[in-house]
Amino acid sequence: MAYVSMGEAHRRITEYLNRFCGAVSYQDSPMLCRLLSFSSNSPSLLSLADALNVFQDASSLIRQSDKFSEYGEILAHLFRSLQSYRVGNLVEAYLAFENFANAFVQEFRNWESAWALEALYVVCYEIRILAEKADKELTSNGKSPEKLKAAGSLLMKVFGVLADPYLVFFFLKLYGKGPKRVGALYVTCQLFKTYFKLGTVNLCRSVIRSIETARIFDYEEFPRRDKVTYMYYTGRLEVFNENFPAADTKLSYALQHCNPKRERNIRMILKYLIPVKLSLGIIPKDELLQKYNLHEYMNVVQALRKGDLRLLRHALQEHEDRFLRSGVYLVLEKLELQVYQRLMKKIYIIQKLSDPARAHQLKLEVIAKALRWLEIDMDLDEVECIMTILIYKNLVKGYLAHKSKVVVLSKQDPFPKLNGKPVGS
Amino acid sequence: MHEGCVMNQGGNTQTVAPLDPNPIEKRYGVEGSQVQTSPYQYSTGSDAASWTTHSVDNQVVQQNGNYSNSNYYHPQPPVPATGNVQETSSSTSGTVNVAQDYSAYTPYQTPSDLQNYSNTGYTNYYSGCYQQQQPSQPYTQPVGAYQNTGAPYSSFQNPGSYAGTASYSGTYYNPADYQTTTGGYQSTAYNSQTAGGYVNQTPTSSNQGNYTSNPYQNYTPDAANIHSATTATATPVHYQQNYQQWPGYYSQTEVPCAPGTENLPATSAFSQSFPVAGGVASEMPASNGQPAPSYAQNWRQETDSSQPPPQQPAAAVSASNNAYWMHQTPSQQAHYPVPPQNHYQSPLETKPLYETPIQGHQRATYPQELNSQASIHQAPLGYRQPTQTTPSVDTQRVSKIQIPTNPRIASNLPSGYTKMNKERSPAGATQTPAYVSVSMSNPKGHTSAMPEPGTFPKALCGFVERAFARCKDDKEKASCQAALKKIITQATNDGTINTRDWDIEPLSTVLNTDVTNTESSSAPISSLQNKSPTRRPKSRWEPIVESKPFVKPASTFTSGVKFGGWNHPNVNNKKSSETFQKVDAVTGSKPTYFAQNSAKKSFQRPVKRQRFAGGAIDDEESSDSEKELTPYYSSAMSLASSADEKKRRDSRSKRFEKVQGHSRGNDIPKPKISNVRRGTALRLGEVLDESCGSRAVEDMDWDALTVKGTCQEIEKRYLRLTSAPDPTTVRPEDVLEKALSMVQDSPKNYLYKCDQLKSIRQDLTVQRIHNHLTAKVYETHARFALEAGDLTEYNQCLSQLKILYAEGIEGCTLEFAAYSLLYITLHSNNNRELLSSMSRLSKEAKGDEAVRHALSVRAAVTSGNYVMFFRLYKTAPNMNSCLMDLYVEKMRYKAVTFISRSCRPSIPVSYLAQVLGFAGTSSEGTGEKENDGMEECSEWLKAHGASLIADSNGDMVLDTKASSTSLFMPEPEDAVAHGDRYLDVNDFFTRT
Repeated sequence: MAYVSMGEAHRRITEYLNRFCGAVSYQDSPMLCRLLSFSSNSPSLLSLADALNVFQDASSLIRQSDKFSEYGEILAHLFRSLQSYRVGNLVEAYLAFENFANAFVQEFRNWESAWALEALYVVCYEIRILAEKADKELTSNGKSPEKLKAAGSLLMKVFGVLADPYLVFFFLKLYGKGPKRVGALYVTCQLFKTYFKLGTVNLCRSVIRSIETARIFDYEEFPRRDKVTYMYYTGRLEVFNENFPAADTKLSYALQHCNPKRERNIRMILKYLIPVKLSLGIIPKDELLQKYNLHEYMNVVQALRKGDLRLLRHALQEHEDRFLRSGVYLVLEKLELQVYQRLMKKIYIIQKLSDPARAHQLKLEVIAKALRWLEIDMDLDEVECIMTILIYKNLVKGYLAHKSKVVVLSKQDPFPKLNGKPVGS
Repeated sequence: MHEGCVMNQGGNTQTVAPLDPNPIEKRYGVEGSQVQTSPYQYSTGSDAASWTTHSVDNQVVQQNGNYSNSNYYHPQPPVPATGNVQETSSSTSGTVNVAQDYSAYTPYQTPSDLQNYSNTGYTNYYSGCYQQQQPSQPYTQPVGAYQNTGAPYSSFQNPGSYAGTASYSGTYYNPADYQTTTGGYQSTAYNSQTAGGYVNQTPTSSNQGNYTSNPYQNYTPDAANIHSATTATATPVHYQQNYQQWPGYYSQTEVPCAPGTENLPATSAFSQSFPVAGGVASEMPASNGQPAPSYAQNWRQETDSSQPPPQQPAAAVSASNNAYWMHQTPSQQAHYPVPPQNHYQSPLETKPLYETPIQGHQRATYPQELNSQASIHQAPLGYRQPTQTTPSVDTQRVSKIQIPTNPRIASNLPSGYTKMNKERSPAGATQTPAYVSVSMSNPKGHTSAMPEPGTFPKALCGFVERAFARCKDDKEKASCQAALKKIITQATNDGTINTRDWDIEPLSTVLNTDVTNTESSSAPISSLQNKSPTRRPKSRWEPIVESKPFVKPASTFTSGVKFGGWNHPNVNNKKSSETFQKVDAVTGSKPTYFAQNSAKKSFQRPVKRQRFAGGAIDDEESSDSEKELTPYYSSAMSLASSADEKKRRDSRSKRFEKVQGHSRGNDIPKPKISNVRRGTALRLGEVLDESCGSRAVEDMDWDALTVKGTCQEIEKRYLRLTSAPDPTTVRPEDVLEKALSMVQDSPKNYLYKCDQLKSIRQDLTVQRIHNHLTAKVYETHARFALEAGDLTEYNQCLSQLKILYAEGIEGCTLEFAAYSLLYITLHSNNNRELLSSMSRLSKEAKGDEAVRHALSVRAAVTSGNYVMFFRLYKTAPNMNSCLMDLYVEKMRYKAVTFISRSCRPSIPVSYLAQVLGFAGTSSEGTGEKENDGMEECSEWLKAHGASLIADSNGDMVLDTKASSTSLFMPEPEDAVAHGDRYLDVNDFFTRT
């Protein structure tokens, strides 16, 4: 940290105060955003932080002028947060920022137009990022991380401000549309991020309900980036619920509307969309996997193509941690039935080559032998069990003759394709 | 005297001016002690009228010695009066006042007697503290001549009130000397010590208690004089403040407080007036004024300062149900002695409130008290006679004493008794209920306050703690406490308390002395305890509420024990133990009480109550009385008086201490600590607080408050705690370990085991034990719960286990990881939860047999592989199969639906029985297995709507086509409306 003289510090602080007040009075949202975005680590903010650490009594500076003291509370908290942030005391920084955010939201609520929406976004984003950092610090100190949770409740408060029906109605009358409510989806997305990180996904439900049912929201009115993010998260929620068609719709929407240049975002969407599509019987091309670096799915896709149960199991085992963390493990595991179906189909085709007349009769012995070749040891009871499941789930058409230990396949389309429908439907 | 004064004052302040005895009479009269009151009134009222009468009254009330010294003593009576006022104000309960009055009166008299005695050489018996008094004795000696007649009396009283008298006399004669001299200081210390000791001791014997209270007042006055001779007005102010604080704290007290506060102002006024013109100012002042205005001031000031302490004890007494009883009993007793008619009346009145047995007790006690009082009040000679007549045998003494004294009392007592009665009666009649609860806390707090914990060096506190840590049971603690008290008293007396290195002080001295002390003192205690044997055994299993009061009494017990020990030694020293004891019995009424207690439990109780009234709380008595009370009063009463109240009161008392500051003796802290030790953790916390200066309750060091169990019972029923845990009902870790293995080996049903394990868990929690044992207990309970299918309990245990394992405590981590995996897959069926718990599994965990089994089960369930599932069901390690039981029904149903949809045309039931796990679950033999499986399976299939037919071979087969549409899941037979069948008690019982 370079040495900053008292005078220099005073000058920098006064300059910042002037810019802040100017941005507010001229409703210069981009400027305000710049002034507030900690995580950008902009040189001006860093130098301000240094100045604040030299010139300790910034609050007296704020009090000196009526212009500054109007936002005295906001600025005092902001300065304290910036100071702590600069010296690496993230918990302190978070706490001060939380106070700042509260004061800011209160102020925002009173502003008639939604000019500062972007600045509010910045605040919402910063508080989440700061909370995550503070939690990391807390964890490393052996304390329980709780700041992200606090940030979540603060974001919920912000959401309440933006989705306040009275406020929205007021703007609707004034401007014909609600400029402030369109910010609600951004906050919702920040909330999603928070909740997913915290693992309290069920808290998303209430937000989703108010977004999707409240008449004050016109979904098309929201900015596209927020809609994509929203669809991504709700799609993920559907994956958890194993509601694959809905997940497919939402994730596909996100994929279609996602900025194609944002490969990282596309990859994130594909990470969930591919398993969903697989479980609907839609297999992606290898190029897609390669383009977006989704190699963990390569073997899974391969196993589905070949009916190679062993490969699938190996692939699952290999990437178990990753799949468990992203939450697609159970989805991929369920692909086993499709792999069995593929295997049966292969046996059927081979039998057809040798003996077309009796090709529709699959002996359980034969299936067990095929599985043994795949180094999967199953006795006839188990094979029979698998076959009943396959038939029950409509992956195989036909019936099982228990006495003769034979699966009799339907002569017409014995292995129906899923064609975008989930297994068992 | 104190009481009398208090009463008078109170009466004056409240209803009439100080002059009117009648008001007092009226109050008392309500109870039926009016006749008696009249004399009292005379004394009080007559103060204004004629000094001599006052003196006489006081003397009469107090004791013979006072008569001769009347002038000198008169001042003393006023002091007690202030004391009484204090008491009244603090306790505000008439009963308390009464008790105090008794004590006060007796003490006063005793002081004079003591002086005489000291002259006689009785004082020698008493320790250095007493010796300090001796200096005063010379002063009092003149008085002593008078008192000499009552020598036996005085001897008894000497321990408590002698010092006080000495100081008084000192103040009287050489106020300056006393105050200036270290002796005076010591005397203050002594007083405080004695006060503390007495307060505690008072429990042992009501007489003692009374005496002690008197000494307190006397002593405190002395101390006050010394410390704040000039600040007479200031002290009263403090008092009032204190009082006000008290009322604020206790809502109950508030009502009583109002009178008390009134009294206080009055007292303060008195004290002020005293200096001005003792005779004219008020009754009390008059008496004071007679001796010496300056003295009166001193005294009053002192009394003011001292008032808080007396009040505290009184309050304590009243607070406890025992106190309540005590008060009432005293009042009744008082009535009895004074005028039989009055007594009867009062008993009748009081009787409704209290049980008849109590009344009887009271009566019995009456004689005793009367005797003591009578002896005290009346001619010392007469006392001696009673004492003489009462041989060494306490019981005998009691009876004998009572008999002889009664006649005397009848003649002499009237005045004193009337006073007593008056005071007592009001308290008992009107104030008792409200007071009871309040007073309990007060005493404790006051006593603690008195001791001035802050004055004790920290090292000493540590020493005391160590000493107590060595004590295994209550007896030992009691003895230890007594020993500690001795040591500390000695140390304070020779001024080494702050210089001594307590850290290296050998504990053996304490412990040894303890033994001796216990021997001497334990006898009475044991007798007392024996009285309530039935309750004790029960109390362990009973709600804590009861037990708590118990504990508290125990703490007070120690003090009582000490007292007894003191008395006994004294007696022994004198050789004329018989006479002394008799004297003691008469004067202090302690011995008599003890004897009575031992002899007649019922009698003892009333006596004890009286003692309580005296301002001190006898532990034993309190326990007894509490026990007695519990039946009568709801447990809530005791609760109110227990933990929380104590806390608040203690905090208040702390304030007192701060205000009063330095005058208190060092002795007091000991009882506190010991009490704390014995008592609840909360008390401990208070003590700590005190010793560490002024800390808010919120800042308490909870670690230091953690309960250390002393219960040695292995078996204990579970009862949800409704208050702070009682160490005597909490089992220490080693006992819990035994209890756990007992439960594990127990052949009894799950319900019993669950109950036992819950109580173990509770004891662990209460003692904040977090170690392998805790984990083991929860694991055991979780397994039993799984075995019995009690998922609710299982979940509780599992969540605790997760916390314990997260803390790094060793346990069957993997086994329970498997359980939790199974539980999630099979019961909660939450994918996210499953994912997160799977992702938390370590490599090592995945290698574990149980975990691997759980993972395979999960795979089988998610894929619907029923064959795999039932194979795993049969090979499940640990209790995994118990959890799988949860899913068996669903899995079977799933399997049958699959099969009936997929298989054509039919499938043999034997195959289903084998695949669906029916076979092999019932018995060992293979042949039997199959058969049993078949039957079970076909029944199950029928219950689920499957159509079974016989094929060509006569084997039972499942018609799959028919079944595919007819299958249904039957309503579970054990379903309950609220959805959790485990909540249904009857069902639970039948299952276990």
